[in-house]
Amino acid sequence: MAYSEKVVDHYNNPRNVGSLPKEDPNVGTGLVGAPECGDVMKLQMKINPETQVIEEAKFKTFGCGSAIASSSLATEWVKGKTVEEALSIKNTDIVRELSLPPVKIHCSVLAEDAIKAAIGDWKKKHGAEVPATEKASH
Amino acid sequence: MSTATTSTNSEKVLDYFAIFGVPRKLWIEMSELEQKFLQMSWKLHPDNFVNATEQERELSLKRSSELNDAYRTLRDPIARVEYLLGIEGERKEGEKKQQAPPELLEEVFELNESLEELREARASGQDLTGLQARLETAEKSFQEKLGEVDAELQSAAREWDATLTVDSAARKKVMARLNELLNRRSYIRNLVTNVAKELGEV
Repeated sequence: MAYSEKVVDHYNNPRNVGSLPKEDPNVGTGLVGAPECGDVMKLQMKINPETQVIEEAKFKTFGCGSAIASSSLATEWVKGKTVEEALSIKNTDIVRELSLPPVKIHCSVLAEDAIKAAIGDWKKKHGAEVPATEKASH
Repeated sequence: MSTATTSTNSEKVLDYFAIFGVPRKLWIEMSELEQKFLQMSWKLHPDNFVNATEQERELSLKRSSELNDAYRTLRDPIARVEYLLGIEGERKEGEKKQQAPPELLEEVFELNESLEELREARASGQDLTGLQARLETAEKSFQEKLGEVDAELQSAAREWDATLTVDSAARKKVMARLNELLNRRSYIRNLVTNVAKELGEV
């Protein structure tokens, strides 16, 4: 299969593989999957509740090279970003960066979903602590 | 070739069930389907269109390839369910993203992790006989899960056939169930393939 150079690089040297303690209140976990191809992707982020900055990101993906590369890239991109900035990452950005072919676009969608799911999980954990006004704005 | 031309004249695109003139049921009598397929293929055979116009010949070829697709799809019990959910609007390629329930994702993730452990154990040169036994156990368990999901699919398929004349709410419910089972099946089938691959390399 003709993978782009960047996909091969991420596949051979995936960044930030591993996991973070799921029970940690500052860790958000996103577990998403694409049933059609049987891929599962877990993305975790450690977020500073004061600054809303993503301090750490880890992933583990069982799937094709593009799914692994997409999630590896996603962890690289979200690190150091604020929650709001991370939420603005679009799957098309990943497609462009990795030159994914049309049949592999769903892998980038999965990575975007994983970012949103992880942040969603973190927000849920902090649901009680988020002031009502801020919550209403979402 | 009046029979062939009347069937090729219609502009309407028929779904695979309609091509064979059967209701949208998931239980299909195979020998009957095969017989219909052979009869219809025979009618569409190019030999019957030697003196036909070019347009008629083209149409018969088109119908013939549709018929082949229809037969191949309806003959396979899984492809049949997939196709039915597609034409009923429950499962549209690319249009509606498939969602897997969180419990299923958790389970699949864990199964994949255990498979990965075995893979790593092999890579680090651990005792191969012990490893092979563990892989075989995993394979057996995945096969069992596949059998379970197939049995559930069958029972949901029977339910679908029974709701054919019932209200649409009941049908929607069965369709959602069928869809969920198809997704689960696709994950388990992957695991079965992966464990078989590992076993082949031990």
